[in-house]
Amino acid sequence: MKEGSKATPLNLCPYCTAAFDTFEELKTHVVSVHKTEPLPKPAGWIALTVNGQVHELKVEPEWTLYQVIHDRLGLMGVKMFCDRGACGSCTVIMDGRPILACMSLAIECDGKHIQTAEGIAEAKHPLVESYIKHHTMQCGYCTPGFITTAKALLDRNPDPTVEEVMEALGGNLCRCGTYPQHPKAVLEAAQTLREEGSK
Amino acid sequence: MTAKKLGPYQTLKAEGTYKIGADKPTIAFNRIGKRGVRRYDGYAKASGKALYTRDVLLPGMLYSKVLASPFAHAKILRLDTRQAEAYPGVRTVLRFDDPAIHGRELTGSIAGPTRMAPQSAGWAMLPVKTILGDEAIFEGQMVGVAVCADSEQIAAEALKRVKIEWEQRPILLDQEEALQPEAPILIPGADSNQIIDERELTTKGDVEQGFQEAEQIVEFTARRHAHLWAGAELPCVIANWSGDKLEMWVHEQQPYLSKLILSEQLNIPMNKIQTHSLYQGCSFGERCNPSNWHQNGINVLAVLLARKAGRPVKLVLNRAETFYGESGDVMASHFKVGAKQDGTITAVQMKSVFANYMCTTGVEHLIDNTRISHLRCEGITAHVNKPPAWWCRCEQLPNVFCQTLIFDHVADALGLDPTQVALRNDGCEGHDPSYLSEFKRRHGFPDRDSLRECIEAGRKAIGWEEKWHAPGTRRLPNGRMHGMAFTWSHDWDDTRGTGSAAVMIQNDGSVSIIAQHSDVGVNPWTAYMQIVADELGVPYEDIEINPFDLNVGFALMSPDGSCNLGSNGFVVKKAAQKAKQMLLDLASEKFDRPADALDVKESVVFEKARPENRMPLKEVVKMATPMLNAVGIWTEPPVLAWAWHTHGLWGQALETGRPRMCRQANFIEIEVDTETGEVFVTKVVNVNDVGQAISPETVEGQMYGGTYMGLGRALTEEMVWDPSTGVLLNRNLLDYKYATLLDYPEAECIYLETGLGHGPYGSTGIGENTATMIPGLLGPAVYNAIGQRVDDFPITPHKVLKALGKIKE
Ligand code: FES
Ligand code: FES
Repeated sequence: MKEGSKATPLNLCPYCTAAFDTFEELKTHVVSVHKTEPLPKPAGWIALTVNGQVHELKVEPEWTLYQVIHDRLGLMGVKMFCDRGACGSCTVIMDGRPILACMSLAIECDGKHIQTAEGIAEAKHPLVESYIKHHTMQCGYCTPGFITTAKALLDRNPDPTVEEVMEALGGNLCRCGTYPQHPKAVLEAAQTLREEGSK
Repeated sequence: MTAKKLGPYQTLKAEGTYKIGADKPTIAFNRIGKRGVRRYDGYAKASGKALYTRDVLLPGMLYSKVLASPFAHAKILRLDTRQAEAYPGVRTVLRFDDPAIHGRELTGSIAGPTRMAPQSAGWAMLPVKTILGDEAIFEGQMVGVAVCADSEQIAAEALKRVKIEWEQRPILLDQEEALQPEAPILIPGADSNQIIDERELTTKGDVEQGFQEAEQIVEFTARRHAHLWAGAELPCVIANWSGDKLEMWVHEQQPYLSKLILSEQLNIPMNKIQTHSLYQGCSFGERCNPSNWHQNGINVLAVLLARKAGRPVKLVLNRAETFYGESGDVMASHFKVGAKQDGTITAVQMKSVFANYMCTTGVEHLIDNTRISHLRCEGITAHVNKPPAWWCRCEQLPNVFCQTLIFDHVADALGLDPTQVALRNDGCEGHDPSYLSEFKRRHGFPDRDSLRECIEAGRKAIGWEEKWHAPGTRRLPNGRMHGMAFTWSHDWDDTRGTGSAAVMIQNDGSVSIIAQHSDVGVNPWTAYMQIVADELGVPYEDIEINPFDLNVGFALMSPDGSCNLGSNGFVVKKAAQKAKQMLLDLASEKFDRPADALDVKESVVFEKARPENRMPLKEVVKMATPMLNAVGIWTEPPVLAWAWHTHGLWGQALETGRPRMCRQANFIEIEVDTETGEVFVTKVVNVNDVGQAISPETVEGQMYGGTYMGLGRALTEEMVWDPSTGVLLNRNLLDYKYATLLDYPEAECIYLETGLGHGPYGSTGIGENTATMIPGLLGPAVYNAIGQRVDDFPITPHKVLKALGKIKE
């Protein structure tokens, strides 16, 4: 939430109290008539860029980022596993860092850029194919969380060691015990990326 | 005398009933047993697009939550739900005294007589096993009231506004204390806290005679504390009514059975219930007891709430609420074992006290895979104020716990190599391996010595020859003590199960497997597709399965008992063979040759004698369709065949004369820090004879995957209750600790293919073995390291230090 913003359900202009049907009309009015910057968004409104697409939506203060991405945006790759902060299954990449969507309040994520497993797969990131090849999933419930965590690692470290991969994924739980496959899959994806980059 | 001609039903039954004997392949393997076959579910799961029940959102859907008892034993005296009902966003409230739910019991006629029945699974304390009652017998039990609201948060808030006056009752948490004469009686009207179980005493031969034959007697005690399956996807269910039709989304291993029970309980015709079972975020038996609260109980509540609210309802549990059960191996045991100097075990006597439920008594594996002739196993179950116990990967935990400890104590007392003691006692139902050899020969199986092969492979892989030593004798340069251990058992396939499926060839030559099936992560669909591909002569890539809908009419055996493949492999194999027959029958018209003169390979039908006389499969079937068309240009019936298979019955593997012939061996190497009591696992070698691998990567996945669960159970996983209140203290995955990637090394997994399984092509199941075998193995390993026994599981640093005499309590 931006500092000083107020709920303006009727879209009233704070300078001249003119009423508008939509928020967009009010913004145009403020810019053209009062020659100021458009208003900050009303309380509870956030803009999220998820997998490259901008979503503006109203959220309740207690909603987690998980709820918004999963329930509102319908991106089911964020998975609720431990419920709160213990498993990494709900990991998304936010402004380059892997974060836990179940532990983040959506209202604090205004303006953020987010990537989910779906976006990583749509972009044909080699992690997805190497995960399939190495059977790096059993029930698959934890898999998107591992993939997002691994993608964030490769973004900042394209040539990690096994230890670095293990360290990065050490906070992700997998009850099925797919653990040994992850370093293999991630290192192979890293190599594919480097080869693609050098072409 | 000519055999009586069977009608269609009897024919199906005769074709589908397992016949003892080696199942030899009649086709060349192209995909079966090969590495590199693309996993069916790989892309869906890696891309986040796989849908699980927890993901389902319906328009207008409400969320429901059920009250959890804050007390370990209490009764509701007064329940005031007015504030909860008035809370904004609450849509409906279901109290235990509502006529819609009042007195409804968990059990149905199907569940009733089985071991899943509430009576036998730790509910003895409840006079009536109601779905939603006014009495709680453990902390966290669903009780009193369910609410339904616009969001999960509102539902949780509303529950906080329910006012309850409780009557607290005495509690007992320890099963041995519960059997003391001065213990308060928890079961109404009973004169003790003991739960009657007809399996209380198992005897074979005469143990007294066995002890007399012995040259050494070994006695010891051991304890196992509660752990939990803790699956990935939180339990949930969605119910939606449309008139008299009900649509359900369930996170369950056995949706068909669950539908049957639901239908009985609420009097809804089965054909009006449409059930979807999507991907399942593991299960390990957790989601396979249709008679429990958190499975069928929540189904009934969701259905009633949806009816009351007139909207779809999703009933969800949070992580804390999933600690509603405990493993079926909560036991305190005493052992007396007689053995001869050469390692022959002459008698085993054991007495165990279980908490809440005795999944297995502890003796079954000794019967199934040893030649020990004198056994006496007493198992008593006492009721305590903890959640019901039942199987969780797997119910054999008590059996292998006992076998591992017995064999290790014997080998140690005799100063023998434990692998030799295993070979000395290997056998079946009291017979030595010559009995098995005779059986193998008679039924067309190869006469291979599975245990010997497993042990040889494992000894080599772990370096047993060079590294194994007497207990407490090897300190490493890093100051830690080095320990090694070995255990063994038979394969895990329950060799039971029933399923059906159809195989249909579409007009374009692509192939569909038609059947519902629950996937809990064991990659079954890839295996079924490999089998169909090879049997039908069609590329793997041309096979598809859509297993998410129970309404297709066919249902494959649920993924439990490690016999998913054992049963379903036969089902799809037979269906594919029948479809191939149909296809060739159809082709015989087009080739003007008899069907048996033709064959199919890589989706081309050809004449065996003149392979150049060929036609693409899709040309053969292009007019064959199940659909009617007004123009009437499709003139041939569909190429679709279905098959059914049954493979024994639960617990009847012995009665039906099918001895277990595959074996496994597990080896471990550890280091113990004697200053901190920590146990570091440095190497694990799992060797499993799987008979025949269908998907090698899947076999290995179960082997290394189960290792992590097994090690967690051995060292860190434990449910901890506050002794004075009975409140569970670690209801989350930070305090209930299971393995991460950083905790243990990758296990070395070796599988052998002897063809000795009772499954298709001589295969046997692998789903539960490793996770069940590994926990007990840590007892012998720690002993081998420090020379002191810590047979009290999980083996925490505290217990190790106590055994070393470094701390008192
Ligand atoms: S669900 Fe977010 S960390 Fe587990
Ligand atoms: S694959 Fe099942 S939890 Fe990781």
